[in-house]
Amino acid sequence: MNNIYVYEDSFINLLNLIDQLFINNVKPYNIKTTNYNPDLFDNLVYLKIENKDILTKYKKIVDKENFKIIYYVYLSNDINKELIIYYYLLNYFKYKAKVMYMRNLNCVNKALTISNYVSRENHKFKGFTRFRELKNNVLFAEIEPENNILEILSMHFKNRLKNEFWIIKDKKREIISIYNKKKIFIYKCSQFDILDVNDSYNEEQIEKLWKLFYKTIGIEARRNDQCRRNFMPKKYWKNILEVSDEV
Amino acid sequence: MTLKEKLEILSDSAKYDASCSSSGSSRKSGNGIGNTEISGICHSFASDGRCISLLKILMTNVCIYDCKYCINRKSNNVKRAIFTPEEICEITINFYKRNYIEGLFLSSGIIKNADYTMELMIKTIELLRNKYHFGGYIHAKAIPGASNYLLKRLGKLVDRLSANIELPTSDGLKLLAPNKEENKITNIMNYVKENQNKKFVPAGQSTQMIIGASKESDLDIMSRSENLYTDYKLKRVFYSAYIPVNNDKLLPSLTVPPLKRENRLYQADWLLRFYGFKVEDILDKKNPNFNILIDPKADWALRHLDEFPKEINICSYLDLLKIPGIGVTSAKRIISSRKLFNISFGDLKKMGVVLKRAQYFITCNNRYFIDKQYLKKDFIETNLVLGNKIENNLNERQLQLF
Ligand code: SF4
Repeated sequence: MNNIYVYEDSFINLLNLIDQLFINNVKPYNIKTTNYNPDLFDNLVYLKIENKDILTKYKKIVDKENFKIIYYVYLSNDINKELIIYYYLLNYFKYKAKVMYMRNLNCVNKALTISNYVSRENHKFKGFTRFRELKNNVLFAEIEPENNILEILSMHFKNRLKNEFWIIKDKKREIISIYNKKKIFIYKCSQFDILDVNDSYNEEQIEKLWKLFYKTIGIEARRNDQCRRNFMPKKYWKNILEVSDEV
Repeated sequence: MTLKEKLEILSDSAKYDASCSSSGSSRKSGNGIGNTEISGICHSFASDGRCISLLKILMTNVCIYDCKYCINRKSNNVKRAIFTPEEICEITINFYKRNYIEGLFLSSGIIKNADYTMELMIKTIELLRNKYHFGGYIHAKAIPGASNYLLKRLGKLVDRLSANIELPTSDGLKLLAPNKEENKITNIMNYVKENQNKKFVPAGQSTQMIIGASKESDLDIMSRSENLYTDYKLKRVFYSAYIPVNNDKLLPSLTVPPLKRENRLYQADWLLRFYGFKVEDILDKKNPNFNILIDPKADWALRHLDEFPKEINICSYLDLLKIPGIGVTSAKRIISSRKLFNISFGDLKKMGVVLKRAQYFITCNNRYFIDKQYLKKDFIETNLVLGNKIENNLNERQLQLF
């Protein structure tokens, strides 16, 4: 039988689980969230885990840059991300901080590639996220990123739009991030969803101005759809106002 | 005139300016709205594939000058408009709030005179910064001929302040933009250079040259760039393929903008800024123009085959950068990795090296990647050109480095 270690989906739970595996010196066949559908040969194992201070513990052991790499891998949509984190940490204990330069190790190369991808997608959404203004002056955006970037993206808007009320909803994952001019709160849509999405009175006019600007600023003699799609992949267009009707 | 009509006219007439970058500044958010990010952020990409980062507009397209290549020149019969400062602020804030843009790019035609125009621009930007408390990115174009005390005021408000050199040589400028004497432009550049600090034009200055409107060779253009980077500490030189908007006997009658040439100039520009190349390495009097078939770095490597192959595990950082298929990121990765382990061909791919190009120019642990008998100029050149062709077809003009 293949031992699959199971955790309830959160970064803390995953770290706790991996920590236990290290302590007990077991190599997992795989690590999965509770949503996992087991195969015939799978044996699901639930470990009892108590350590509440796991983040503090690991932030002490692992330096900032490597910690960020692991966290970003966790945020990714890679199906083997848990195992990659497990092996990355295992090698971290052996090689310490310099492990991030050891791309000859498969798990390191994978972790770096994935974390890079998450970071790039987050950067893209700093630009591609589109808010509209609702009646109550709240700014509201919907996104559908490949990776779970809602939290790190929200940190960006917390600085940028710090004196506005805003909400970002990840439609794929059904989670929502709410900012009240002080703090960010992240909920599942089942716990909290916004129902009144009526626009503020000048929303339509502003959107028209933006679309007009977008159309005007492109130079016809240089038209290049290929290039546009490379930089701004079509999969995102649905939620990008100025191209949403070209989908 | 409605706001919509104004926006249409004044963004249409600003679109030929290539610069839309929002990098180089890290303004923290204050009481109002907005901050800036050092690397800059692209918010959208226009139908021509260029990044849209800033609300790029002219304050007015009224102009007392008559530059031959410009759509706004005095002698053109086009609709004219002017924004009020409030209008510009309202659009900027409303666009910014919705995350359409990173900030404002404000340029202008010259209305009455240079100082008068600059004062109007300053009034607008002061309003935006002080009343609307806007903390996002602002790039303002200084008006050639404006007084230094106005440059001083504007420079304190914006992230980037710049002037376009427009043409690579003063002869070109005299011919096509006779009112814009060169020293009016270099005066601005000098002033910004002398005074630049964290509180004055923190993101530095950039400039733009129009390519193909006058007769200069690539060598003229690149030499000018090199001298702009060293003499005026410019952050960027932009190259803008000339697009005919006016009929004038002094202008060439191009039908298609020279985009490939523009692309080569951007590539060469990167070689100057990040790869340790000098203009004299890549162009000379005998070869004053770039090879359209092959990028400048590969072209250089082919002319210097005797310097290759380079051994990945020992050659210096600068030598790594000279290898086609290796860029700044992969070179840095190689340097930090090879201290820890011996790099093999298999690892190179993981580090982002384009082996298809690099293979002819390297050894790993003294072994060649391909059979030695193929290390001949003609063979390599054909393969690189063919490779480029295939890439180009897939990815036409993708290498725009805005
Ligand atoms: S000064 Fe500027 S706006 Fe006026 S004609 Fe010359 S390039 Fe055009």
